[in-house]
Amino acid sequence: MGLLNFQETKKLLLKYKIPVCQTQLTKSKKEALIFAKKIGYPVVLKISSPDILHKSDIGGVKTGIKNKKELKKVWDEILNRIKKNKPRAKVDGILVQKMEEGIEVAAGMKKDPQFGPVLMVGLGGVFIEVLKDVSFRVAPITEKEGFEMLKTLKSFPILSGARKRKPANIKSITKIIANLSKLSFKEKNIKEIDLNPIIVNQKGALVVDVKTLI
Amino acid sequence: MRNLEKIFNPKSIAIIGAKPEEKSVGWGLMKNALDSVLPLSKKTKGTVRSAHCNLLRKLKRKVYPINPYQKEVLGVKCLPSVKSIKGLVDLAIIAVPAKIVPKVVKECCEKKVGGIIIISSGFAESGKKGKVLQDEIIKMVKKAGVPLVGPNCLGIVRPSIKLNASFAPALPKKGEIAFLSQSGALIDSVIDRSLIENYGFSNLISYGNEADLEISDFLEWLKKDKETKVIALYIEGVKNGRRFMKTAKEVSRLKPILTLKAGKTKRGAEAVTTHTASLAGTYETYSAVFKQTGIIESRTVEELFDASKALSWQPRCKNGLGIVTNGGGCGVLMADYCQELGIKLSKLNRRTLQKLEKSKKMHPAYSKRNPLDIVGDALACRYQVAIESLLEQKDIYGLLVIQTLQIMTETEKNAKIIIETKRKWPEKPIICCFLGGKFAQPGIKLLEENKIPNYPDLKRAAISIKALIK
Repeated sequence: MGLLNFQETKKLLLKYKIPVCQTQLTKSKKEALIFAKKIGYPVVLKISSPDILHKSDIGGVKTGIKNKKELKKVWDEILNRIKKNKPRAKVDGILVQKMEEGIEVAAGMKKDPQFGPVLMVGLGGVFIEVLKDVSFRVAPITEKEGFEMLKTLKSFPILSGARKRKPANIKSITKIIANLSKLSFKEKNIKEIDLNPIIVNQKGALVVDVKTLI
Repeated sequence: MRNLEKIFNPKSIAIIGAKPEEKSVGWGLMKNALDSVLPLSKKTKGTVRSAHCNLLRKLKRKVYPINPYQKEVLGVKCLPSVKSIKGLVDLAIIAVPAKIVPKVVKECCEKKVGGIIIISSGFAESGKKGKVLQDEIIKMVKKAGVPLVGPNCLGIVRPSIKLNASFAPALPKKGEIAFLSQSGALIDSVIDRSLIENYGFSNLISYGNEADLEISDFLEWLKKDKETKVIALYIEGVKNGRRFMKTAKEVSRLKPILTLKAGKTKRGAEAVTTHTASLAGTYETYSAVFKQTGIIESRTVEELFDASKALSWQPRCKNGLGIVTNGGGCGVLMADYCQELGIKLSKLNRRTLQKLEKSKKMHPAYSKRNPLDIVGDALACRYQVAIESLLEQKDIYGLLVIQTLQIMTETEKNAKIIIETKRKWPEKPIICCFLGGKFAQPGIKLLEENKIPNYPDLKRAAISIKALIK
């Protein structure tokens, strides 16, 4: 089993109209500063390596970088930490990403030996990890079925506007689920894909991080 | 669709491995095949033989014991091989040691039998060697186009035509439930249990290793079977997931399918591998599959047959029920269970309340709302007004009738009223919960003889009526 790199994954998602947060792989601090200026602060820096599956566990992610000075500092910090924690990892560069505000959602696909691609969706963070509040369906599914998946989540009211919150753009998530369903059927070599997190707000949903196993 | 007519309605059966030794599988198969019409055990050989002749005439079904080392089994002459039978053979049941099964299957294919059931175990479920034997068999039957049930199974049972092609303990009553099970032993116990219950079966199928015929083939067959109204499944793992989904979706549109999935936990899944060699898979996936195909999931054997009974006797309905009870507490409990299960309780409208009021039969303290508590001293006439008034209300699509037992409670009369009222509203299901034991029995007996399901527990009644809601 292998891991698709960032560029390949981004290409794959865009092919199936799954929107990805503005991100660029940068090889130097200078490149990173130019891109950050273009998209505007705050930004996020993430290590990009085919050998690292859980980036934040080894200090490869830093969010909420507010300015040029901070970016320069964090850039060095991340590389130093990787050198220390995982010296043999091949590093492609550092991803610079726009910092998005909203609710974290996770969606994914795994191939079951009996039933083929199975889709899952849930709200990110504690909802998935601690409360196991996740909904499953065997692909293919339509957008309507994607909505039913969301509706069965206990945490659904958080998306639909509980306690006077502004409701999130739910349609944008159901579109992602339906497109993920299409992807899972057409891309035979992909064994597992994990869009986590997807940040959703009133405007729409953007994939912030992806793991794709082939 | 595969043609399984010869397996499910055989005019001639060869039992390969029939044995005279009591308590052996070969003896059990033979006894079941003959016993369907006349019990043979205590008869002398001569009468046994004539009994067998009677059986042939009555059922127009021939039974041939095959065993080269025996002269006769249960008074019927043995033949050395299936090929020595002069006439046609519809169904061959094989119960010989695994290593000689391929040879026997070969003979069956040459004889052009209509179908085969392999009872013997020692195939894919037992390891690599067994898998090789199984593959050898699959190759032969596929080439000959002979449908095969098993191996490693109990067989099949069809009470309506008195077909017992299995070593199950008895022939159950006929009815509308088809039970399709990956476990044979569970079938046996379910049969025995059903003998002291009131429901019956259209088919009981133990499908074993699914070397040839798979669960989906049986579902397709049951879809067309006129006697089957509801299908109950016990599954550990499904072999051909996508096909199962497609078939189950089609069938569940016409006939409700209930399922009990085993191997949901890590420990359970490990036990599955040594039992049926199927992959238990992740439970989340199965749960999704059931939802997507319209299969109703049961959590226990009891729930599976509680709901099957309800579905085989009562029509399905929309969500919106009424509750009539002569015990306030039981009404409250039932309301709790209904809400937990997502069952809606319809609001009693003005006309219904007026009818109750005008009847002058109500106790001053009756609840005037749903659940309708008609108070502990309710006699049958009060039940009648309550049941009829609620059923007359358009948006009450089905009824739960609870009876607790006071000294004045008229349990038989209540049952009769329910049976009569039900005739007026054939499209609205009624489920009863006559609580108690000894004194409630006569009423319960009447209800169930008239296909009104009764449950001795409120929650069981609620779960069963939930299965009726579309």
